[in-house]
Amino acid sequence: MATTTEAATGFDLALTEEQELAQRTARDFAREKVLPRAREIDEQGKVPRELIAEMASLGFLGIYVPETYGGAGLDALSYALVSEEINRACASTGVVMSSHVSLVVDPLLHYGSDAQKDRFLRALATGERLGCFALSEPASGSDAAAMRTSARRDGDAWMLNGTKNFITNGASADIAVVFAQTQPDGGSTGGSERAKARHRGIAAFIVEKGTPGFSVGKLEHKLGIRGSDTAQLLFQDCRVPAANLLGGAGEGFKIALSTLDGGRISIAAQAVGIARACLEDSLAYAKEREAFGKKIVEFQAIQWKLADMATEIDAARLLVWRAATLKDRGEDHILAAAQAKLFASDVAVRAARECVQIFGGYGYLTDFPAERHYRDAKITEIYEGTSEIMNLVIAEEILKE
Amino acid sequence: MKFLVCLKQVPDSTVRVKVAADGKSIATDGITWSISPYDEYAIELALEHKDGDPSTTVSVVTVGPARSRDALRQALAMGCDDATLVTAADTVGGLDVAKALAAVVKEAKPDVVLCGKQASDDDQGLVGPALAEALGWPHVGMLTKIAAVADGVELWREIEGGHEVWTAPTPVVGLVHKSAKEPRYPSLPGIMKAKKKEIPEKDLAALGVTPGAPRAEVVAMEPPPQRGGGKILKADGDVKALAAELARLLHEEAKVL
Repeated sequence: MATTTEAATGFDLALTEEQELAQRTARDFAREKVLPRAREIDEQGKVPRELIAEMASLGFLGIYVPETYGGAGLDALSYALVSEEINRACASTGVVMSSHVSLVVDPLLHYGSDAQKDRFLRALATGERLGCFALSEPASGSDAAAMRTSARRDGDAWMLNGTKNFITNGASADIAVVFAQTQPDGGSTGGSERAKARHRGIAAFIVEKGTPGFSVGKLEHKLGIRGSDTAQLLFQDCRVPAANLLGGAGEGFKIALSTLDGGRISIAAQAVGIARACLEDSLAYAKEREAFGKKIVEFQAIQWKLADMATEIDAARLLVWRAATLKDRGEDHILAAAQAKLFASDVAVRAARECVQIFGGYGYLTDFPAERHYRDAKITEIYEGTSEIMNLVIAEEILKE
Repeated sequence: MKFLVCLKQVPDSTVRVKVAADGKSIATDGITWSISPYDEYAIELALEHKDGDPSTTVSVVTVGPARSRDALRQALAMGCDDATLVTAADTVGGLDVAKALAAVVKEAKPDVVLCGKQASDDDQGLVGPALAEALGWPHVGMLTKIAAVADGVELWREIEGGHEVWTAPTPVVGLVHKSAKEPRYPSLPGIMKAKKKEIPEKDLAALGVTPGAPRAEVVAMEPPPQRGGGKILKADGDVKALAAELARLLHEEAKVL
């Protein structure tokens, strides 16, 4: 079990030279290119494609993919560092990146065949093509195995039918990783034996935009991260070549879960980035704003809020770094990632609440960034595993022994 | 074409500068260091050449303390080909820096040496011209663009309300004011490529430079005076009296009337 009670899981807090440089590039880029557009991105509900292209040219869309597949060849910790910086500036831009990297690039890297890597991973890692991950459905979120989307073998192809819901990057992506049930009765509910059968029938497919029978349905209107598109994806007799099956036919559920385990690290990093935005914006405002004849930062009521935020953000960041370090070492990171996400998302939501409070009435206006942080923070407690699912994962892990 | 860009590592522009305890230098504990902005423009100008003509090579060199290695690594990550670190104390004067750079230039034999027109820390603008002088090469300042022509280079200088175009034979020293595009960020693949490159280190003695006694010395540094608070006159109905009071204050206190 990866707890800090065991010395073997301790880690070095010093960043390597390249991790520092990566962090710096991301910080400079985020401050100069992303932050000035964050409000516009939120208001217009769109992350400009050229901004994504610029992130691609800097190597952000294939951070830890080996150079042989067009990636930058860095590691999961560098990815967490970059995620924090981008999300410090704009959570919408952050989630476009993390959905692509954690949920599409990552499973292709780990489960793709050589041919699939050549064909898809390279284009995804260089950012030439954008990816999305299609697991959730209208009637199945946390209980992913209850999916109804079906895949039926049809000669040298699979025929996909069904609807996917809440798909980040769904409208803008060129490539989707789609999960479907290959066993005809797998989708129905039943006892625990049935539940196991449901898991075994799930398969993952690489589906390209433009494949006949694959279309984008309605776009969702969201509370926060409004710049990232969230779409319904429709599959109607969509023929996917058998060569596009990712991993084995029964491996889909495992691929989905392990992908989400890693993805949680970047959502936790996103939460740290949003929380840091709350702290930095609060600090700047509290040093300027006056009440009762002095700057509000001189009041202990404000100072305590800031001190709590700073402490919690540091603690959350340490959990993120630990989870990323374990992933880089190829060690089990399920518990560490779940803890990081559970804690960091909670920290972000609380920091955003205090940020709005420190800004007072101005915090409620769209003229100031506080309300955007407040809306953006909430999603980190929901997507890529809700806080309740995180608790479930953590409990399962600590009860194993 | 072969470029050599001379750069200096300086406190980052986002650092809130504080005067150190000695009263004549700045506190450097825990501050972020960067490539001086004009030097970054110089790197960008050279790299733009390389973008257009891949046979171009861009080398970078700095004279400074060991921490300057980070600035060279950053330049390599931006796309420069090789880097040389000449270690020297922070206190070594501009003239000795120029002499050390001249020794490096003579060995590297570039066609064009670029420097930022001044470093953003002390703003002396001394090293570039002194380097040209030490080499006996022509130098042109305030550059915004460089183009290769038949027997040398075409150099665009920014002047009041427009620009001048000069030509110069190579080798030449150019002092850069700005690049058309903002300096590029070090890309992540660039960072990993830079990681694999060795940065050779030399000291002043190896280059035959013995630092002389400084010809100029900073004797004191102090932060700019705190600005006083503003004054708000209350309008309680009598506009005439208010205007008279404002005129009096502007005349007697602010002394602007």
